[in-house]
Amino acid sequence: MKQETKLHVEENEKHLLLDHNYDGIQELNHPLPSWWSATFYGGIIFAICYFTYYQLMGGPTLRDEFKKDYAVIAAAQAEFKKQESAFNPEVFAKFNTPDGIKKGEEVFTNNCVACHLEKGKGDIGPNLTDEYWLWAKGTPETIYPVVFNGVVENGMPNWSEVLSRDEIYQVVAYVQTLHLTHQAGGKAPQGNKVE
Amino acid sequence: MNAHVSTRTGKLEYFSYDDQIVRLFVIATVIWGAVALLLGVTIAFQLADWHVNLGLQWTTFGRLRPLHTNAAIFAFCGNAIFAGIYYSHQRLLKARLFNDTLSKIHFWGWQLIIVAAALTLPFGITTGKEYAELEWPIDIAITVIWVVFAVNFFGTIIRRRERHIYVAIWFYIATIITVAVLHIINSLEIPVSIGKSYSLYAGVQDALVQWWYGHNAVAFFLTTPFLGLMYYYVPKAANRPVYSYRLSIIHFWSLVFIYIWAGPHHLLYTTLPEWAQTLGMVFSVALWAPSWGGMINGLLTLRGVWDKVRTDPVLKFMALALTFYGMSTFEGPLLSIKSVNSIAHFTDWIPGHVHAGTIGWNYLLTAGVLYFLVPRLWNAEIYSKRLATIQFWTATIGIILYIVSMWIAGISQSLMWRAIDASGKLVYPNFIESVVKIVPMYWVRAIGGTFVLVSFVIMIYNLYKTAKSGSVGKEEVYEAYALDDSSIEQGAAPHRKLEGWPMIFAVLSLVAILVGTAIEIVPAVLSKQYITKLDVVKPYTPLELLGRDIYIREGCYLCHSQTVRPMAHEVLRYGKASEAAEFVYDHPFQWGSKRTGPDLARVGGKYPNMWHYRHMWDPREVTAGSIMPRYTWLFDQKTDYGSLPKKMQVMQTLGVPYSQAEIDASVANAQAQAQSIRDNLVEAGVPEKVLDKEIIPLIAYLQRIGVDYGKSEVQQ
Repeated sequence: MKQETKLHVEENEKHLLLDHNYDGIQELNHPLPSWWSATFYGGIIFAICYFTYYQLMGGPTLRDEFKKDYAVIAAAQAEFKKQESAFNPEVFAKFNTPDGIKKGEEVFTNNCVACHLEKGKGDIGPNLTDEYWLWAKGTPETIYPVVFNGVVENGMPNWSEVLSRDEIYQVVAYVQTLHLTHQAGGKAPQGNKVE
Repeated sequence: MNAHVSTRTGKLEYFSYDDQIVRLFVIATVIWGAVALLLGVTIAFQLADWHVNLGLQWTTFGRLRPLHTNAAIFAFCGNAIFAGIYYSHQRLLKARLFNDTLSKIHFWGWQLIIVAAALTLPFGITTGKEYAELEWPIDIAITVIWVVFAVNFFGTIIRRRERHIYVAIWFYIATIITVAVLHIINSLEIPVSIGKSYSLYAGVQDALVQWWYGHNAVAFFLTTPFLGLMYYYVPKAANRPVYSYRLSIIHFWSLVFIYIWAGPHHLLYTTLPEWAQTLGMVFSVALWAPSWGGMINGLLTLRGVWDKVRTDPVLKFMALALTFYGMSTFEGPLLSIKSVNSIAHFTDWIPGHVHAGTIGWNYLLTAGVLYFLVPRLWNAEIYSKRLATIQFWTATIGIILYIVSMWIAGISQSLMWRAIDASGKLVYPNFIESVVKIVPMYWVRAIGGTFVLVSFVIMIYNLYKTAKSGSVGKEEVYEAYALDDSSIEQGAAPHRKLEGWPMIFAVLSLVAILVGTAIEIVPAVLSKQYITKLDVVKPYTPLELLGRDIYIREGCYLCHSQTVRPMAHEVLRYGKASEAAEFVYDHPFQWGSKRTGPDLARVGGKYPNMWHYRHMWDPREVTAGSIMPRYTWLFDQKTDYGSLPKKMQVMQTLGVPYSQAEIDASVANAQAQAQSIRDNLVEAGVPEKVLDKEIIPLIAYLQRIGVDYGKSEVQQ
């Protein structure tokens, strides 16, 4: 390659040029930008203060903060459970409508189909379309507690931790419509026959 | 011209530079760069549409993603570094590379390692540690080749004709030393067979060592060598003096010292002792200014020549690269702050951040270096500056699409994961809802990635035409005085003196990185108290161990994390927060770094066996809208029971309390457990022939994850 042309040095920085020369590269010796130095020292000071407070002076740990947050959630859940754990026929009537049942089907599709299959045919979980029941008895007031509390030993989750009150009533409204529909290809009966 | 040279006396020597090796590395850079980007685009589309996994085990996301990261970091960036260093190193020292044979061994050895990676990773031969997935024989080869590089590099320094080493070389030195330390410590593992080993470390220890390595791979493979290149190529191309020598000194030493501490910011809110997490965070914040020192020195070097930046491809790419470097080193400390990290971690914000660095900084800087090198190495003018400009804008649009889509995706995910209503319940309890929501962003990202790939192909064409129009001339002969006392500066400042003692300089760099390493890692590795064991937590059964190896082979950890952070929404969604004692038998740990699917820390016992069976056969059967590929080969491939005794023996060596009787009975025990899972599946209607297939151990493992502690009554 051809020899490089003369180094481009601005007039006001000529006095900062060092006589270092590496393969034609030279260095100016500008002072550190003040905002950069401020950031640099600021970062170090922050590091020292933060570490001292949280690790040496007993500042709250991540677990402490979690416990605080979780206590609020747990209280809200306990309140919900207290108010909603019993089946309320009046609220149910409000959702036992074509519209509520349609919403219930959506809730069912999003949460229940994985185990009960579409239309409650049953798969991992039992068939909901026959006259045999493991826990409930095909009526809204017996289905409700199973959905609300779950059945730990069978792997049915506690849906009160996941679904809202409205969603639970909606899905109960939907499930009762499946009762005795005897879907084709449904799972073999499980549990007791309910007349 | 040079003050010192002109006054120097003594023996005038004649020498030439080895540019042939630089040419080879340049060619390798563009080839592997294209491969890395093509793989990246492929896996981006796989996330947008699972069909792109092609239904083959060798092409699923879990196996191609490590191949993509390894190709991008070690093949593309690695070759770019070697090309850039070998060209500038010789010229900055006025000396030919130490040994031509070593150069060739370095080149071909490195390419062989890359080919070995390309052959093993798709076959599922992996250690399961991010960016360090290669198995032990390849790890050894990497060490050998790295030593060859180091000998060649330091040998050249010893034979130099320039007394003082320039800042670019400081960065090269820090790179070579630190990468060696990182690679060796993180790769300590005990082989089971030629293609399988278990990490020496377990659980929290393994996580700490892995992310000390992982973060510093970013620091000392993707940052320091590229800063070194920047310090040579920017002033050369701009024909300007470097802005501030003083800044070079301060930001070099602070960067090298501070960076090494930052690894634990990948482990915030995990069960890593909190003092280590806090150190990781505060050092990351303190790293902001040192990182920016390099950007300032680069950008301000361009003062007065911004008109050139508009026309010269070299400067154009480098100026943008420095800007992206500045952006991602601002974003990095921000993401390390615990509260910000609690939002961003495990989301797509992180791949977005990483790609601002790798595409924005590494690719664009490499493009600048290549536009500098190719015309000089092949004696030609750049074929088309217009094409370079088109490449520039295509790449820029691509990066922006990538980053912005990932910001949106990451923040959307995070908000959906953490939304809790007034009754204390998750608003989006089904993880899949957040996945479905961001799939459009995955398309945008994939398109952005495609732009980047196209821009790269444009560059390859442009460079090819450039090289073709020129010719490789004979090696030019240069002259310089041999080093003798006449080159020693009288009354030089201390750092200036140090620049005349490169070996001492190297030792000091080593010390700088060892301080943070020792303080963070030594307690984790040596102290038995670091991890309290719990009686409820038992080692995996033989069948579960086999399942775990399948899980690692398929790269499940790349989409599913395995740690519940102490956060209300995570505990609501997944169950009890994780404890360190749960992971004491995990060689390697599997906490993951990204949640494309839900966390699996408490998945054991959550669903029936049948659910897992279905889920692996076709995830959409149990989760509508899932983007996970199918794992159909698990239903065809036979379980490798024969490897069990050896595997358990190695685990025993590593401290997992298996008795000799358990090892002797491992195959029988595994088959008995397989039988019980099969019976359960057959009852649910599965064909009987699955007994000896890989799906069974995988289900066994999945059913075990997090159960011991998760189901225990131990209070948290």
